Amino acid sequence: MSVLITGMGAVTSVGAGVDDTFDALCAGRSGVAELRGFDRTKFRARHAYEIDDRPAPGADVPLRATGWLLDAVAAALRDAELPEDLAGVPVLVGTTLRELRSVELGWCEAAPFDPAELHFGTALRERFGADSTYTVANACSASLYALGLGADLLALGEADTVVVAGVDTITESTYGLLDRVYREAPESVRPFDRDRRGMLQGDGAAAVVLRRESGEYGTRAHARVRGVGLNCDAYHPSAPDSASIERAMREAYRRAGVKAGDIDLVLLHGTGTPLNDEAEAVALRTVLSGASRSPRMTAIKSMIGHTAGASGLHSLITAVQALRSGRVPPTLGLELPIEEVADFRLSREPATDPELRLAQVDSFGFGGLNAVAVVERMA
Amino acid sequence: MRTRVVISGLGTALAGVSGPGALLGAGAPAAGPDPVSTLRGPGLRYKDRATKLALCAAERALRDAGLLDADGAVSDGSEKDGSGADRPDFGVVVSTNWGNVDTVCDTSATIRERGYAATSPMLLPNTASNVTASWVAITHGLRGANVTLCNGPTSGLDAVHWARNLIASGRLTRALVIGVEPVNAPVERLVGGAGDEGVPLLDGAVALVAEAEEAVLARGGRSLAAVGPYARRSDLGAAVSEVRRHETAPPGLWYLPEPPLGAVAPARPDQGSVPTHDLSARFGRCSGALGVLQCVAATAELVRTGHTSVLASAGHGTGPGRQGTGDDAAAALLLLSSSASGGAP
Repeated sequence: MSVLITGMGAVTSVGAGVDDTFDALCAGRSGVAELRGFDRTKFRARHAYEIDDRPAPGADVPLRATGWLLDAVAAALRDAELPEDLAGVPVLVGTTLRELRSVELGWCEAAPFDPAELHFGTALRERFGADSTYTVANACSASLYALGLGADLLALGEADTVVVAGVDTITESTYGLLDRVYREAPESVRPFDRDRRGMLQGDGAAAVVLRRESGEYGTRAHARVRGVGLNCDAYHPSAPDSASIERAMREAYRRAGVKAGDIDLVLLHGTGTPLNDEAEAVALRTVLSGASRSPRMTAIKSMIGHTAGASGLHSLITAVQALRSGRVPPTLGLELPIEEVADFRLSREPATDPELRLAQVDSFGFGGLNAVAVVERMA
Repeated sequence: MRTRVVISGLGTALAGVSGPGALLGAGAPAAGPDPVSTLRGPGLRYKDRATKLALCAAERALRDAGLLDADGAVSDGSEKDGSGADRPDFGVVVSTNWGNVDTVCDTSATIRERGYAATSPMLLPNTASNVTASWVAITHGLRGANVTLCNGPTSGLDAVHWARNLIASGRLTRALVIGVEPVNAPVERLVGGAGDEGVPLLDGAVALVAEAEEAVLARGGRSLAAVGPYARRSDLGAAVSEVRRHETAPPGLWYLPEPPLGAVAPARPDQGSVPTHDLSARFGRCSGALGVLQCVAATAELVRTGHTSVLASAGHGTGPGRQGTGDDAAAALLLLSSSASGGAP
């Protein structure tokens, strides 16, 4: 069963709303900047895609991620013309790092933090009266995984409306460990480029309102979710498995009732990490082999960084806007594509294509968690 | 018609607790060896305590369900007919609230003291809260949907609910559901900081195998209990009323929520003549492990007593979760005897 997207909200380093963010992406504007959140002397890396809404330079405070989440959900409800009352409405929040930045501040600086706020249900209950809330900690595929779980709720008849969201903020521990892992510190995220050095994190949140398909909502829906594939590599805690990613893509096509050759646009996961980019490209090449044409592709982490648990929904919302407007954001920083994507229609320039109808959205996370969605433009 | 989901295997990794049947006793558990002391193999150094505990409970639940062969590999018998050992329809759902707090706190403190170069790159995956579920999947080759819920006091019951949904939606045939919480200094500080100083914390894991009923029957497995109605609501009374909406007989036993974090314990709900049990009184604050612990204990209770149903409940939901006002919501789940579900004895 397909479901409708009737509302969208987003917050990123390049924009405080869905339209602001999409305009910035289409203009090729990047949110990368010098690191502002942490003591720079403790790191080799110097850059991140931050939302710098701290009260003063160097003065971090708890619960910033929660604030972005509430903003994104409120925006999605407004867009869907629904009241801010989520009693009885399931809300699924995908996240990699929850409010663990607040835990770090509590441990290292004794900043006050109520552990009841580690899961997002507490704030969602307080703000929206939401009582059916789930914090889904599924690494960097979390919000697209949550989209699949939310669509299942509608298909099973357990709800008529579901809100799916994603949020993450950069933690000191993950930022430092990423710095430790890469041979050279990246200055930006350059997906599929030969000179890519790795991933940089981004702050952000996103939310969508899903409704069961019916004539009542069809007129104001943004797009239709045709199907979501979910699986796990069961292979390695950090290295992805292209064969498993391929299976997730095929599962998404099967659930959507489409073929790989029907896809017009792919929002790539594209982290700019050597192993990840290669595994995704190999999987795509395999599923597209034999297709009569190659879909357009883009990777927006080149401009908003890796927004982790929110990244799947950021890509999904971008895909929906591309289907609606015919505008495709560029993949910034792509100078010399890796061999695996040499014949893909992946460009560092913005594109216009009013014929886009079906989009594929990829989202993969640590532990081999794969989620792939297929969305369709409303007629 | 919705797929019926049954519980076919149980496992525990709790010091001093010999297995699921021993959850039903009274008094604090006897002293016993650390369950993770049985683990062997490479890579243990970089696995956090929550992951090690979960691996122990998972292995026991799989064995109890009859899903491990003599070599310790997951097997449902279909390998014999040539359909292979692939597990795309076997998933994992983990519930934990404090699981990786230690990695995050210790790493950030190391960076502040000595800089990023003093950290171990092997710990990077452990900063993501799904690390436990991923290691369980890797260890047993479970390639189906893999979900980690960090959902506060109701998280364990929510995990059983999502395992059932994943089976009902056709994504999975079976799921390993694990509830785990570790005890370490960062967790003690975090929970103690909510005004819970001196309250003992559970350090352990429990697991159950949930399967589509027809899959258990097809492989000749045992159906120990069936997963009944579930609800998550703004308060405990509403959640319990919802799951009991179609029940005429009272449950044989009611597992109560543990007290809200840092808040004054609310009055006990009116239980009528139903006997009640608070597992946290015996095992300490269980947090994300509680709901799974209740379901494991309830299943053992159903097998032992012949009750028709046992009620599990977590979270009081009397407030938005701020200190002194209670939990953000409450969840309730009915476990039904396998005969009531029509399953195999």
